[in-house]
Amino acid sequence: MPVLKSLAVAALALVALALAGCDRGSLKSFSFAAGSENTVLQPLVETFCKQRNTTCTFSYEGSLDIGLALQSAEGVAADAVWPASSVWIDLFDTGRKVKDLTSIAQMPVVLGVRKSKAAELGWIGKDVLMADILAAVKDKRLGFLMTSATQSNSGASAYLAMLSSALGGKAVIEPGDLDDPAVRGTVQALLRGVTRSAGSSGWLADLYVEAARSGAGYDAMWNYEAVLKETNDRLRPLAQEPLYAIYPADGVAVADSPLGFIDHGKGPATEKFFTELLAYLQSSEVQKQIAATGRRLPFSSDAIAAAPEPDWNFDPSRVVTAIRLPEPAVIRQALDLYQGALRKPSLSALCLDFSGSMQGDGEQQLQAAMRFLLTPQEASQVLVQWSPDDRIIVLPFDGGVRGGFEATGDAEAQAALLAEVVDEQANGGTDMYACASDALRRIAAAPDRADHLPAILILTDGRSEGDAQAFLDQWRRVEPHVPVFGITFGDADKTQLDALAAATSARVFDGRGDLAGAFRAARGYN
Amino acid sequence: MAISRRAFGLGLLGLGVAGTGAYLALRDRPELQGLLGNRTELFGFIGGEKEAFLADPDVARMVGSYGLELDPRVAGSVEMVREPALLSQNPQFLWPSSSIMVDMARRNGVRIRRDDVVLNSPIVVYTWGPVVAGLIKTGLVTSTMDGIQQLDLKALLDAILDGADWSALGVDALYGRSRIVSTDPGRSNSGFMFAGLVLSLLAGDVPNATALAEFGDKTQAIFRNMGLKSSSSGKLFEQYLAGGLGAAPMIVGYENQLVEWILADPQRWARIQASASAHPAVLYPRPTVFSAHPLITIDPAADRLLEALTTPKLQELAWTRHGFRGPLGTITGNVETAVGGLLPAEIASVLPMPAADVMLSLVDRIGA
Repeated sequence: MPVLKSLAVAALALVALALAGCDRGSLKSFSFAAGSENTVLQPLVETFCKQRNTTCTFSYEGSLDIGLALQSAEGVAADAVWPASSVWIDLFDTGRKVKDLTSIAQMPVVLGVRKSKAAELGWIGKDVLMADILAAVKDKRLGFLMTSATQSNSGASAYLAMLSSALGGKAVIEPGDLDDPAVRGTVQALLRGVTRSAGSSGWLADLYVEAARSGAGYDAMWNYEAVLKETNDRLRPLAQEPLYAIYPADGVAVADSPLGFIDHGKGPATEKFFTELLAYLQSSEVQKQIAATGRRLPFSSDAIAAAPEPDWNFDPSRVVTAIRLPEPAVIRQALDLYQGALRKPSLSALCLDFSGSMQGDGEQQLQAAMRFLLTPQEASQVLVQWSPDDRIIVLPFDGGVRGGFEATGDAEAQAALLAEVVDEQANGGTDMYACASDALRRIAAAPDRADHLPAILILTDGRSEGDAQAFLDQWRRVEPHVPVFGITFGDADKTQLDALAAATSARVFDGRGDLAGAFRAARGYN
Repeated sequence: MAISRRAFGLGLLGLGVAGTGAYLALRDRPELQGLLGNRTELFGFIGGEKEAFLADPDVARMVGSYGLELDPRVAGSVEMVREPALLSQNPQFLWPSSSIMVDMARRNGVRIRRDDVVLNSPIVVYTWGPVVAGLIKTGLVTSTMDGIQQLDLKALLDAILDGADWSALGVDALYGRSRIVSTDPGRSNSGFMFAGLVLSLLAGDVPNATALAEFGDKTQAIFRNMGLKSSSSGKLFEQYLAGGLGAAPMIVGYENQLVEWILADPQRWARIQASASAHPAVLYPRPTVFSAHPLITIDPAADRLLEALTTPKLQELAWTRHGFRGPLGTITGNVETAVGGLLPAEIASVLPMPAADVMLSLVDRIGA
């Protein structure tokens, strides 16, 4: 295989030269489903697409979503997949739909700690073990941002590294190991350190930078080594201190950023475009540009790794010990365990728009989405099930809040919640601020709120009456701040939801095509 | 090409009696069949490690001179001889990577015409300079007089079973437990062969069913230790190269893989040799097992492929450019070629593989 590829690379480089400047037989369009960490490489790919007169489109999804889509009956619509790690393809591509999977770069998942915090913890210039991180979390001296292990590869990687470490230096997590209460306890304690979760590594880095800019900063963030470099490059002009890179000495997971082709039978031109793109990405010139982003390249590449930045302990040439990923069945069990038990529990208030404009289709789809979300057998198939420790508040609203139902994530309690919702019928005006305000009041009153990740989720199809300012005044007084996420529906006007999400460090999901999918995405942030 | 040769062939026919005589003479010379233009396309499954060999234009040309054009598709050696989904595609030949597969193919009702070992490649361990340096210190690796590094695989397996850290093996660059990773023995041959080798070493002899009962658990433990296993030797080798010392410290592969990669781009290799980063290294387990590559012919036309592949010319190409040894484990051609400096001329200490029954039960046990 390697020889074939090198031969192909050489041959294709010649072909590429020969074709430059003539658009004979150019392909119209080519699409990618990629992990958000690849955003920074998009311009490189687009340069290639322009040379070919091909329109390239990118949709950014969590690595697990790409995996789940591969496994689904509909499959992946894109021509190429580019998740963060090949493990999700090994795990989910049971129909062997992905061809020519090739690693573009290597990225260890590490813990970036605000430098003054790292100094306070005595971690500068030291070997730090996962046990040291656990001790800091237990002493309440450290909290971190981390993506959801059931949606995003960086979160899953950090989580699997935690599990590996909790096993006390076994070579790999084996079947049965996850039943050990001591292992579960250790990892659960580590995950109590999560201050915010997210479905995407790129979004998490944005959140860190925005918070630092506004002065409300976070302590730390699990993310790719290369994303930490991007983040620090953004923090520097803001005169903010960098994130100091901690490579847990007992092992980190390394993402291999694989790019693979999906043959939809569009003909040889599409596949040829893909193989030529691979050759382009492996060419000397482009490899140099990829290395400059802080990504690690195969040792055989002639590109020189980005220069070390000792200021924040960055050195892409340094050898890091990688954890060995477990067998597929064990990974699947670990993910179920994360979602159903070990993650920091959420305290979620769902504001459901039952105003008159939701009558008909809207109402039915909302009911269907709630059935999906509150039926464990369905939700667990795509790893968004609730855990018994979660707290769920359901608030149907129109011009005012109709009533509130609170429950735990226990299966019976979920069924009772669902029974309340199915009786609701669309009718009346729309005031999402009134609902958000009631949700916030309930969250603030929750006795064990410090042990939970709080969030408000507003599902609405339109323009709201009511007073945004009054809500935001109330919001500022509740600490820690509660993000207000939105899910749009029908011909929704996003402006109001966007403003609310921006003001509360949250985001808005488009539920128009796939409402259940939007709920799944939103759950990754809570 | 094919068209011009066909024209040439037709031209010969037009030459009358003398031409007909020449045609008849050619027909009896299989290596000149291609000149007549009657090329037969042959479809079959091959192990991924031979893909580059068959894709070599010189190899294709020589196979072409036998009037054959190959349509080889890559499949795992174990699956190609037992998966109905593959066998139902009516392959005209199978080219797996182990002699046991011939036996398994027969049991699965494959109508075998001929089966002959065409190439051989010992199972080796790929690792990195700093690991070799450590293992030399702790005595697990020794160098032979001609500079070949041999690995005491039994001692390494014992250390892994004991949960020894890399540091205990003299490797300070790596943290945590030592490990070696192969492909999935239920799908891919290099992992399959390695499973046989591990069981033989633990049992101290070529194992039978009794030895399997006694040492099966320990063998399973070695494979459990590997975690996620790749489905193909080619994929694992790429993961080794891409992952480097930290992510892929030690893997199991075929002897020809690294050398083929080196020969594909000698400049790249020169650059790596000159660089300060860890260099890839090959260790020969002592003892090791030979992966034989028997060509199984099913369609009569495939018999000609067997003849082509065993000619000295193709055997020499297999060695000098792709690092494969001949049917008896010996090499054809000049030892003093580029590849000659990289690989030992002979492999000492080779164990036979356990019987097919034992291997099948072992693989089932590992996969359980």
